[in-house]
Amino acid sequence: MNSTSISAAVTPQPLFITPAEVCSEFSYHHPSVARINNGGFGCCPSSLISYQRQIQMQWLRQPDEFFFNQLQPGMLRSRNVIKDLINADHVDEVSIVDNVSTAISIVLQHMAWGFAEGKFHSGDATVMFHCAYGAVKKSVEAYFVRAGGYVIEVPLPFPVNSDDEILQEFRQALDKSKQNGRRVRLAIIDHVTFMPTVVMPVKQLVSICREAGIDHVFIDAAHGIGCVDVDMKQIGADFYTSNLHKWLFCPPSAAFLYCRKSNQSSALHHPVVTHQYGNGLATESSWIGTRDYSAQLVVPKVLEFVNRFEGGIDGIKRRNHDAVVDMGEMLAKAWGTQLGCPPHMCSSMVMVGLPACLHVSSDQDSWKLRTYLRDKFGVEVSIYYRPPKDGEVGPLTGYARISYQVYNKVDDYYKFRDAINQLVHDAFTCASLPDSYIRLV
Amino acid sequence: MASSLHDAPSAAVNGTSAAAADSKSQVHKKPRLYADPSPPLFTPSDILSEFSHHDPTVARINNGSFGSCPSSVISAQNDFRLQWLRQPDDFYFNQLQPKILQSRTIIKDLINADHVDEVSIVDNATTAAAIVLQQIAWGFAEGKFDHGDAAVMLHYAYGAVKKSVEAYVTRAGGYVIEVPLPFPVNSADEIVHEFRQALQRGKQNGRRVRLAVIDHVTSMPTVVIPVKELVTICREEGVDQVFVDAAHGIGCVDIDMKQIGADFYTSNLHKWYFCPPSVAFLYCKRSVNNSDLHHPVVSHEYGNGLAIESAWIGTRDYSAQLVVPKVLEFINRFEGGINGIKKRNHECVVEMGQMLVEAWGTHLGCPPEMCSSMVMVGLPACLGISSDRDALNLRTCLREKFAVEVPIYYRSPKDGEEGGVTGYARISYQVYNKAEDYYKFRDAINQLVDNAFTCASLPNS
Repeated sequence: MNSTSISAAVTPQPLFITPAEVCSEFSYHHPSVARINNGGFGCCPSSLISYQRQIQMQWLRQPDEFFFNQLQPGMLRSRNVIKDLINADHVDEVSIVDNVSTAISIVLQHMAWGFAEGKFHSGDATVMFHCAYGAVKKSVEAYFVRAGGYVIEVPLPFPVNSDDEILQEFRQALDKSKQNGRRVRLAIIDHVTFMPTVVMPVKQLVSICREAGIDHVFIDAAHGIGCVDVDMKQIGADFYTSNLHKWLFCPPSAAFLYCRKSNQSSALHHPVVTHQYGNGLATESSWIGTRDYSAQLVVPKVLEFVNRFEGGIDGIKRRNHDAVVDMGEMLAKAWGTQLGCPPHMCSSMVMVGLPACLHVSSDQDSWKLRTYLRDKFGVEVSIYYRPPKDGEVGPLTGYARISYQVYNKVDDYYKFRDAINQLVHDAFTCASLPDSYIRLV
Repeated sequence: MASSLHDAPSAAVNGTSAAAADSKSQVHKKPRLYADPSPPLFTPSDILSEFSHHDPTVARINNGSFGSCPSSVISAQNDFRLQWLRQPDDFYFNQLQPKILQSRTIIKDLINADHVDEVSIVDNATTAAAIVLQQIAWGFAEGKFDHGDAAVMLHYAYGAVKKSVEAYVTRAGGYVIEVPLPFPVNSADEIVHEFRQALQRGKQNGRRVRLAVIDHVTSMPTVVIPVKELVTICREEGVDQVFVDAAHGIGCVDIDMKQIGADFYTSNLHKWYFCPPSVAFLYCKRSVNNSDLHHPVVSHEYGNGLAIESAWIGTRDYSAQLVVPKVLEFINRFEGGINGIKKRNHECVVEMGQMLVEAWGTHLGCPPEMCSSMVMVGLPACLGISSDRDALNLRTCLREKFAVEVPIYYRSPKDGEEGGVTGYARISYQVYNKAEDYYKFRDAINQLVDNAFTCASLPNS
């Protein structure tokens, strides 16, 4: 076999990957940072980075040959790997795109055409949770609202105690819209919300949508594959998208958009139009002009990496979940706070209440505290401001979203525990940090 | 062999050479990225080394398709990639946006734009086209334009752009007019004439022409279009917006936004400006007419202006966009900087093109002054290129049997024409090329002719 061609051959490994090997694969991570925010930008092991680099050099060495002979077969191989991972029926249902933001734009642009072409009517609605990712909300504004649609936001109770609380809010919102005679064209449901992070009961939510006659159900699983169980036939949505670089070890960046085969699905288009326009979304997405597609071509190799762990991706998921709950409970105990949801509603991430005396009292505060933790303590973790509700007495207003991935160690979380303890000890409050402390550009 | 081909950058000289100083004054306000003295000019062996990762067995005379990137820039890019992977949150919050802004500022100076807000960085010209055209689609959807209002584009517009026009303009209710272009072409006047006529057609029946899409350098067949004149005609004829597609732009032809005067101008930086794949800029002249552009991939920056939107479209590898300063350093180690490179590339490709037509008894597709760093060279008629498929098959045969990488164009004969040239090769010249690459191509074709080869003999697969 030509050693320069991309091969999907699985190299048999006699033993599982050892802790030392895992350490080595991620040894390039900044050594002095307690990196407990895998949910932010994901991670990628050195061996995959090396492999990706080989692909990049193959392109640069002779791009025409790569374009004509390697690229499309390579993309198809990746799509087939994903199709099997997610239990899709047919590889045509699987498109690879840069990230979930791109997938969202694809589906929403399609909706905008629905309004422009008279399939939908002004005032037709989309329903989504209030805590949907900011970029998704903006995309809804840019395409759905701009085209004449209406947005129904469903509040997410937080802290949350059970799936039922979420289902109830969702049903209520749909009932209300029905009363108003509004046609709901699209439901956008997170599989795992990002902030605050909670695993949503997607299967039941999809059923409710079907009962309510919603045209399209779209699951945003930015934190999906590698984080929770992802089975297209089980979940039953029309569209499902997940990043591969967050929890499936792909280099930045790659994501898939699953579109269940139907009359509708053939009408989706990638917004960057090339000569492949009209050949189906999957084919359109596999060539959107000259770019570096290497992150999308390493997927078969990613699977090899994942299968070096005991239990493969399921084993990783399970261990990550158990560890993050463990660490979360350790922290909550150390600080006298609580988790944001019961363990069964956590994935590989969990919200941990921060001591109230830190006085996280705005989004601004949460950014400041995050920056301070990075700069002063070498701890990388996302902080969430949870506004108090009317009538609440002394609620926790600050939560940290901790992640656990294979490279993490208990010491990372001790470091965080100790940092917060120190801040409490020093009578630190967020108000003591100047507003300019956030170095967001 | 004429000497200009061997007119490689002069040997390394410590300190600032007069030629390098000239190049600095040509590109006004060019930022100085290094302290005096300037790094020495590249020697021929430096250049060899910078492109040593290219397949040495291939005569790579197709820089126009996918461009090229020197090793030192690839290294710089890998450094950025590793920085991200090492601690992405820190890079995201503290490094990414300032570095993109730095790249945008350099581009602004290179292209003589007024303000850095006018410069957005996107993946490629195809993305830029989608941005401009999506805005037109909204114009129809929101009633700003009337059904049947027109968009004008060249018949030789790039295939992807034509599809984009179909996807956004035709679909939204617009009417598309294609400007036929003669090929072979003999003068810029022929193009200007056809364009004027097409605009008249566009305005028939009270139609408004909402957008003109004009290539700066067409792709296949390749010809330099007189964009400044065409933009002027558009203004005279009341075209709302003018979009210049200069996929082959920066590093290939002269680009001056104020000179050209278009509303939108896009060019790839990975084709002729040595950036890694992939990075392009979209220039949008500040005006009321075009304040409503958005990147189609929406993120939390939506509404903050196209340049800001484009600088964050979700988690991805932005490293290609960050190495523009490094690329500028690289370019300035050639005599005359980018202008010197352009000039020498043009002279060499014309020289090589003339060598080939002389060897094969054919002709160039246009006069030298209408070439950039690429030229169309007629192929011997006996090869029997009689379809697009033939052209592609011949290209594959050249790659596989002769290790020559060059795109082939099929030019269908016009009525009455017989036994003429129907196939053209688009040869490119970039700093890594050598005369031997073109001799190899010359000999390959000569061999095919000797063997009485015809395209009909190639299997369709």
